[in-house]
Amino acid sequence: MAVFSSSSSSSSSSSSSSSSTSNLLLLLLVSSLDWLSTRGSVFVMDHMTSSAPVGPHFTECISREQETFRCWWSPGGFHNLSSPGALRVFYLKKDSPNSEWKECPEYSHLKRECFFDVNHTSVWIPYCMQLRGQNNVTYLDEDYCFTVENIVRPDPPVSLNWTLLNISPSGLSYDVMVNWEPPPSADVGAGWMRIEYEIQYTERNTTNWEALEMQPHTQQTIYGLQIGKEYEVHIRCRMQAFVKFGEFSDSVFIQVTEIPSQDSNFPFKLALIFGVLGILILILLIGISQQPRLMMILLPPVPAPKIKGIDPELLKKGKLDELNFILSGGGMGGLSTYAPDFYQDEPWVEFIEVDAEDADAAEKEENQGSDTQRLLDPPQPVSHHMNTGCANAVSFPDDDSGRASCYDPDLHDQDTLMLMATLLPGQPEDGEDSFDVVERAPVIERSERPLVQTQTGGPQTWLNTDFYAQVSNVMPSGGVVLSPGQQLRFQESTSAAEDEAQKKGKGSEDSEEKTQKELQFQLLVVDPEGSGYTTESNARQISTPPSTPMPGSGYQTIHPQPVETKPAATAENNQSPYILPDSPQSQFFAPVADYTVVQEVDSQHSLLLNPPPRQSPPPCLPHHPTKALAAMPVGYVTPDLLGNLSP
Amino acid sequence: SWSLFFLVSVVWVVLVCLLFCSRLLSVGAAPICTNAQAGCHALSLANLFDRVIQHSARMHGISNDLHSEFEQYFLPSKNQIGRVSRNCHTSTIFTPNGKENAQRMARQELTEVILKLLVAWRDPLWHFHQSIAHHHDFNNFSANKALEMSDMVHELRKGVEKVAEKMQMMGIISNSVSSLASPEALLPSDSAEWRLMKDYDLLYCFRRDSNKVQNYLKILKCRIVPEHGC
Repeated sequence: MAVFSSSSSSSSSSSSSSSSTSNLLLLLLVSSLDWLSTRGSVFVMDHMTSSAPVGPHFTECISREQETFRCWWSPGGFHNLSSPGALRVFYLKKDSPNSEWKECPEYSHLKRECFFDVNHTSVWIPYCMQLRGQNNVTYLDEDYCFTVENIVRPDPPVSLNWTLLNISPSGLSYDVMVNWEPPPSADVGAGWMRIEYEIQYTERNTTNWEALEMQPHTQQTIYGLQIGKEYEVHIRCRMQAFVKFGEFSDSVFIQVTEIPSQDSNFPFKLALIFGVLGILILILLIGISQQPRLMMILLPPVPAPKIKGIDPELLKKGKLDELNFILSGGGMGGLSTYAPDFYQDEPWVEFIEVDAEDADAAEKEENQGSDTQRLLDPPQPVSHHMNTGCANAVSFPDDDSGRASCYDPDLHDQDTLMLMATLLPGQPEDGEDSFDVVERAPVIERSERPLVQTQTGGPQTWLNTDFYAQVSNVMPSGGVVLSPGQQLRFQESTSAAEDEAQKKGKGSEDSEEKTQKELQFQLLVVDPEGSGYTTESNARQISTPPSTPMPGSGYQTIHPQPVETKPAATAENNQSPYILPDSPQSQFFAPVADYTVVQEVDSQHSLLLNPPPRQSPPPCLPHHPTKALAAMPVGYVTPDLLGNLSP
Repeated sequence: SWSLFFLVSVVWVVLVCLLFCSRLLSVGAAPICTNAQAGCHALSLANLFDRVIQHSARMHGISNDLHSEFEQYFLPSKNQIGRVSRNCHTSTIFTPNGKENAQRMARQELTEVILKLLVAWRDPLWHFHQSIAHHHDFNNFSANKALEMSDMVHELRKGVEKVAEKMQMMGIISNSVSSLASPEALLPSDSAEWRLMKDYDLLYCFRRDSNKVQNYLKILKCRIVPEHGC
C-alpha cells in the first residue's frame, strides 16, 4: 500500500509541475517501476520459469482427505538428477519457533512422491518443502510452503446414478434427478470435511460442458434435457470455501427415448366420455321436455291402425268382437263424431278414412242418401250407381280405403241392398217382385239390368216393411230362428257371420254397412272365395262336387252356378251371387214368424241352413223355398210370402 | 332464533380467540425449558448447533473471499506463507491440528478452544475493518465484507456460548463457569501482538482460524448430536 501511495504522490507532483517530456518520462518510469514492483515477483517468477532451464521443483502437493498429503517433484531439465535418490525432500513444519528441517518420512521414488501419513500431517500449520541434492544443495530459491487445508483436493464422488423425474407435456424435454455418494475417503460423517459438489453435463461427443451451481447436497436435478439426445454427466467436489477441486468422477450417460405416450390416448378417452355424456344429456332433455314437435322430429310415431273414434286397444289382436260391436254402431255411437277422441295426445295422427264417415259431409250425406235411396227409392240412383259400376267406385271418396280394384265392395252393398229388396217381406206386389227377383235370379247373375228392372218395384214396396228381423231363438244345433218385423232392434247373429264378413276383407270403410247388412242377412252364406256372398248351396257345392241345384235339399238358396264355375273371375264382373236367406222361405211357410234355422257353419265359414223337413221346390223354380214345415219349428214363412209359394 | 344464533356464534368466537391467544401468550411468557420438556418450544441442541455451524461457515467464506481479493492486490506468489513475518497471535492457543486430535479432545476443552479463538479475534477484526474502510485503495465492497466479518465473529461467539449453556444444562459438559463467564481471562496478557501485524497477515491468520472454528464445531456436533447431516 505504501508503494501505491508513493506512486500517487509522484503522479500528482508531476502533474502540478509544468509539462515537459522529461517529467513525463520520469512519470512513466516511476509508474512502471511501481507497477513492476507490485507485480514483480510474479513476472520474475514467470520469467524465470519460462526462460531459464527448469530446475528440480515440486510439481504439486495434494491432500485427499485433510489427513495425509503427498508431494511430487520433478528434476526438471537436470536429467542427471532424475535417478532415484539424487534428490531429497526436506520439509519444515512451523508448529514451533524451533522447528527444523526434516526429511520426507516416506519416499516413493518410482512416482517421485513423498507421502506424509497421518502422524506427520497437521492441519492449519504451515509446511515448507525443499528439494536438496546429495550435497545439501538446495535447488529452489523459495521454499514451497502451504497449509494442509489449502491443498485439499477431495476424491471424486462415487455411485453416480440418475432417475427420470418427469417428461414435459410436449414430450420434448425431461428432468432428471442425479444422486451420488460422497467420496469414501472424505470423512463427511464426522464433520471433518464439508464438501460441495459440482455437476457438469454435456451432449455426448461434445465438449461444451455445462456446469450447475455448487451445492453441498448429494443430489441435484438437471432440468431441460431433450428427449432422444444422449448426455454425459460427471461430478467433482471441493472443500467448502476453498478453491481447489478434486478430479472428475467417471461419466454417466443419460438418454431417454420417446415413450409411446399416453397423451394420444388421453384425448380419445376424454372425447369419448364427453360424447357419451352429451348424448345422454340430450336424451334426458328430450325426455324431460316432452316437446311434441321435438318428439315428432326425433321419434316419429309408428304407423298403427288408428280409426277415429275407436280405442286403439281394440285394434289389437284378439279383440274383434268389440270392434265389430263398435263398428256396427253399438256402444257409444261407434264411429260417429260423438265417439270419444282417443288420440288427443297425437294431433298429427292421420286417420284412415272410413267411407261411412266421410269427411265430406255432403258426400257423406249423398252417400247415405244414396244408400237409403238404394234401399227405398226408385232404382235410378241405384241404376246409376249400378251402371257406373267401377266408375262408382271412383266417384266415391278416393282415399286409402283399401279398395284394390274395381271390384267395389260397395257394389256388394248394392247387391245386398238388392237382396234385401228381394228378400224382405213386403207387400204382395213385393212378393211378386221378389218372386220375379227370385225367378230371375239366374238372369240377374248374367246381366245386371234385368235385375235392376226387377228390383224396381221392390224397394218401394218395402217402405212399410221392417228392415230388421229379430232372432227369436237360437237352436242348440246352431240354427237361428228369425222373427222378422217384430222389432226394430237388432240382435247379433252368430258371430260367425260377422267374422266372415270381416274376413272377406270388405274393409272397414263399409264395414258398418256390411255389418248391418249382415245382421239382416244372418243367414247369408258368404262366399269363401271372398267374392261376395254366396249361397249356402254354393258353399256346399264348393266343398262338394258341383251338382245341380238341389231342389230336393230343401234349402232356400239361389244357385250361384257361375260363381261355381268361375268363382273368382266372374264374381267381379257379375253381380255377386246373392243369397236368398231362408227368410223368404220362412215367409212362405210360417204363419207366425219369419225365421230360418242355421244348421251349422261350414268349415269354410259358410252357413249351412236347415232344410225344411219336407220340401220339394218346384222344378221351374228351384230356388223357391220349399214347403214350410208346419210341424217343425223351423222353416217358417210369413203369410205374405206364403201366397207366393207354389205348392 | 336469529338473535340466539348470533349470540352463540359470538360466544364461540370469543372462546376460540381466548384459547388461541392464551396458547400464544403462554408460549411467549414461558420460562426457559429445562431438559426439553414436552410442550416446550425452546430450540433443541441440534438446531442450535446447526445455526452455529452455518454461521461459522459463512464467516469462513467471507474471510476466504477477502483473502483472495488481497492476494490479487498483494503478493500473488505461490509462497506467500513464507512472507508471513510473524506468527499469528492466536498461535499460543493450543488447538488440535488433526482430525484425530480433535476427536480425541474432550468436548468441554474443544468448546473452550472455540470460544478462545472467537474471543481473540474480536478486537483485531474491528481494527482491520477500520483500516480497510479508511483506505481508498479498497472498494466499499471489501470494506463491507470486513465489517460483516467482524460482526459475525461477535454473533458466533454468542451462539457458541448459548450452545455451551445448553450443553451444560443437558449435562453433556461439566459446569466450569469460570472459563466461560470471562473468556477474556483466557487470552494471553500480550494481547496487543496483533497490532503489529499487517492487514494481509491478519486476514491470513483469521482465515485459518475461522476454518478451525468451523471444523471444531462440526466435529463437536457430530459427536454430540450426530443426526441430521453428519
